[in-house]
Amino acid sequence: MEKSLFRYIWTHSKRDQMIICAVVLASLPFYFMSLDLPRQIVNQAIQGEAFRDGNATAPFLNLSFDWPGWLGGGSWEIFKGFEVGRVGLLMGLSFIFLFFVIVNGAFKYWINVSKGVLGERMLRRMRFDLFAMVLRFTPDALRTVKSSETATIVKDEVEPIGGFIGDAFITPVFLGTQAITALVFIMVQNVWLGLIALSVIAVQFTIIPRLRRELLRLGKQRQLASRQLAGRIAEVLDGIEVVHVHNAYGWERAEIGHRLFNLFSIRLKIYNRKFFVKTLNNFLAQLTPFFFYAIGGYFALRGTLDIGQLVAVIAAYRELPPPLKELIDWDQQRLDVQVKYDQVTQHFAEDRLGPMIEMREVAEADQPLIGTLVGEEIRVAGPHGDLILEGGAFTVELPAHVALISNGGAAASLLARILARRSLEFSGRIRIGERDLTQLPVYVTGRRIAYAGVDPILFPGSIRDNLVYGLRSKPLGRQREDRQDMDRRIAEALRTGNPIESISDQWVDYERLGVKDEDELDRILLDLLDKVGMGDTIYLFGLAGRIDPERHASLAERLVEARHRLRDTFQSNGMADLVEPFDPARYNSQATIAENLLFGVPISDEFRGRNLADNAQFRSAIDRAGMTDDLVGMGLQIAETMTEIFEGLPPGHSLFEQFSFIGADELTEFEAILRRRSRGEGNLKREDRTRLLSLPLAYIEARHRLGLLDEAMTGRIVEARGLVREVLEKSGSAGVEFYDPEGICTAAPLRDNLLFGRVSYQVANARARVGEAVAAVVRELDLQEEVDRVGLEYQVGTAGRLLSPQERASVNLVRCLVKRPDILVIDGAFAPFDEARSQQLMQLLLDMFDQQSLFMVLPNDRQAGDFDVQMRFRDGQIITDKTAAPASRAPSPEPDAPQRIAGEVA
Amino acid sequence: MTLETEVQSLRQVPMFRDVDPARLKLLAFTSERVQFADGQRFFSQGDPSDAAYVILDGRASVLLNTPGGEIQVAELGGNALVGEMGILSDTPRSATIMAAEPTTALRIDKRVFLELLAQFPQMSLAIMRELAKRLERTNAQLVAQSSS
Repeated sequence: MEKSLFRYIWTHSKRDQMIICAVVLASLPFYFMSLDLPRQIVNQAIQGEAFRDGNATAPFLNLSFDWPGWLGGGSWEIFKGFEVGRVGLLMGLSFIFLFFVIVNGAFKYWINVSKGVLGERMLRRMRFDLFAMVLRFTPDALRTVKSSETATIVKDEVEPIGGFIGDAFITPVFLGTQAITALVFIMVQNVWLGLIALSVIAVQFTIIPRLRRELLRLGKQRQLASRQLAGRIAEVLDGIEVVHVHNAYGWERAEIGHRLFNLFSIRLKIYNRKFFVKTLNNFLAQLTPFFFYAIGGYFALRGTLDIGQLVAVIAAYRELPPPLKELIDWDQQRLDVQVKYDQVTQHFAEDRLGPMIEMREVAEADQPLIGTLVGEEIRVAGPHGDLILEGGAFTVELPAHVALISNGGAAASLLARILARRSLEFSGRIRIGERDLTQLPVYVTGRRIAYAGVDPILFPGSIRDNLVYGLRSKPLGRQREDRQDMDRRIAEALRTGNPIESISDQWVDYERLGVKDEDELDRILLDLLDKVGMGDTIYLFGLAGRIDPERHASLAERLVEARHRLRDTFQSNGMADLVEPFDPARYNSQATIAENLLFGVPISDEFRGRNLADNAQFRSAIDRAGMTDDLVGMGLQIAETMTEIFEGLPPGHSLFEQFSFIGADELTEFEAILRRRSRGEGNLKREDRTRLLSLPLAYIEARHRLGLLDEAMTGRIVEARGLVREVLEKSGSAGVEFYDPEGICTAAPLRDNLLFGRVSYQVANARARVGEAVAAVVRELDLQEEVDRVGLEYQVGTAGRLLSPQERASVNLVRCLVKRPDILVIDGAFAPFDEARSQQLMQLLLDMFDQQSLFMVLPNDRQAGDFDVQMRFRDGQIITDKTAAPASRAPSPEPDAPQRIAGEVA
Repeated sequence: MTLETEVQSLRQVPMFRDVDPARLKLLAFTSERVQFADGQRFFSQGDPSDAAYVILDGRASVLLNTPGGEIQVAELGGNALVGEMGILSDTPRSATIMAAEPTTALRIDKRVFLELLAQFPQMSLAIMRELAKRLERTNAQLVAQSSS
């Protein structure tokens, strides 16, 4: 990036800056005219100066120009104007005034909008430039760069710079002109007074910036301190587990408290300094009139200075300070953002960045990576200067299966990283055929080499998003978007140096993978997931997932059929008591009272959980059904039982979380409600009633067995159902999606749509048996793939935290496999798996990569026999052995389709 | 049948006789009431011990694996506690329990049970007392056998 902020701004926005500047200058005459008009209206029209000589009319809109004396004098009349009366003149001038008001407003509007847009465009450019540099950080720099600090820079620190950009050139031009005009006017009136004014201004302009230098230093400190604060908070959050494990709360609290104190101290210094400078500045500004009064007045008394001139000078000086003050403020702001800019550019210093990433693709270069892999004179130094590899050499004929057998040191893993192009910190040569490995363009390595390390990095999004991440190298432009929107988007991108590609485009190259469309790609993904042993998990994710009737049209169509089939299976196998179906006319004793009342699934949060008790529509519905008092009564009973049986358990005990209706911290509040009631303090307060009401809403008769519901009560709840639905539908709130036995409920998970009921709590082992039955029906109706496809939409969460370590590793592996790389490097990717599973996966990879190369780091040579080549590391040398009889490449017989376990359905 | 009736049943179990009623209510509340069909197994010999059961209603047979197949060694009726030794000693099931007719039982989860014991010493004492009594009975039987 440019060293100087001004150069950066000027390079990227000179055209806009000049246009705005020109418009500002063009607006000035209108502005001055609007200032002059009120005087004309009062003097000429109201006081009647224009009609002084007894004229009945005066010229209106007379345009004439007086030549100055040194050009010969005289006047030049362009337009004589209209002859009008007094009222006519008044109205005419007033309307001209109105006209100027509107014109000035329009100018101001245009200038403000243009400045704002200019600032935003530059901000967008700057942020994008910074992000582009984020992608270029060298591995060395990445060791010290903190992600949260960088995020703060790109998001917050450049923001004030963007606000300043609109004013960067216009303000000094505009205000400077104003100030110079006033100064020249004073000089013309009296040179000495002018010089006095000038010298005070000179003092102002030398001392103030000097004093402000300290302010800038403090500003710099503050910026760094707050950036580090953001970094530290993120660190604590990322490492929160260590904080919990070692009980370091006190330390961390003190740490942050200390930082906040530092920030405060810096801030305090800044304030003191800032207002001192401000006071001094004001004083200096008032010093000039003092000189005018004292010295000018003295000369006036002595008769050497005309009093009229003195008054004019003082009047002119009054015009001077505001632009000067603003100019000094602008200067302050300039220095401020320059400091910020310097700090930002330092973070992205050239020596921390790698070379520009070449985006252009050359088709010839993209050849398969096969041939002789030769490494010569490979030297790699460790972090402490020790040599890990010293003059290592090897020759392998690709494609091959190569085992990199670790000697306990870092050598094997480092070589794996070098071969995968993850590390360029070595000397020596590695060639594949005629091509130098280090010189291969990134689009070739990105497509043809895959690397799975110890740490599977996943991005938030669905499993599918993560799996196809490696396939998104460039957009293919097949998505049609609105022409006008697209033009606008692209024009803006070009103006701000942003990429013109749209993420809504089709980025996955299906043809290269040999598939027709997304569905076929899904099939490949599912097949791979199944092979690495994640098939059952995906199936369970699918059952827990929600269906989008548009995306999963065929599944949505057949879901109701599957539901009926399942019900028939239950009936015919004597399993009818395992699931209690949702029936519009019957109470479901395996479901909560809330669910029975709503007979649907909440969509918005205000209908979920305890919020339901507070929801006005729901409350009015149960009021109308006359249920409120009954429910509050049940709430009292629940509260009594809970306070009785959970008494004595320490707060935070796991039994609370698992079983109680009431959180440990609420227990005392409910006890207070019960006490108030037992003392007979009249009716319960509204809040108390709401709290009590929330308890029975979560009550499930079959599970909690408090005996709160009898036949009459369940009958009334079923009756109230209709009323609740009616009220909610009438109010037009789309907060609940109601169950329909013949339709699907998109708000409910897929398994609920299949079961359309609740698994019984009372029947032993019901969940597992229902799970098996569901799996059987899904298989029978050939819905497995569709369910799995829903499972692909499972959200993995931040850094994949919603997945288990094994699942994360599996997703990472499949992400590599689906690319069909020429070279796959496995370096500790099997770490989360046990030995048997690792062995299976290794065998799977060996079978799959019969035409491609596989490099795998192994902890010892127990499993190395299955590889064609074994590389060992000794004394910095690489020893390459070839297996005498390479593992047979004949396609092994297809193993039986893996047996799916049914899994739990809950 | 509600929580109250389950508490009554628990009170009939010797091991829980001396436990405070509020604690028994907590034990009942944190347990699950499950139904077994005729012939359905509570658990099989060798399974990991994950829960104890109190039979509320119905009958269950105790089966042992022998080289000659499973043989019934005992039958359990109402208010019988079964499987508690496994969860206390953390050993696999020593026998198979199978419902001899449609049976309702209260399933006491191992983790919850141990947490309750850890939390309420008075409950642990009651259990110890019962275990001590059983040991005493066994000792007495041994003495009777050796003297006869």
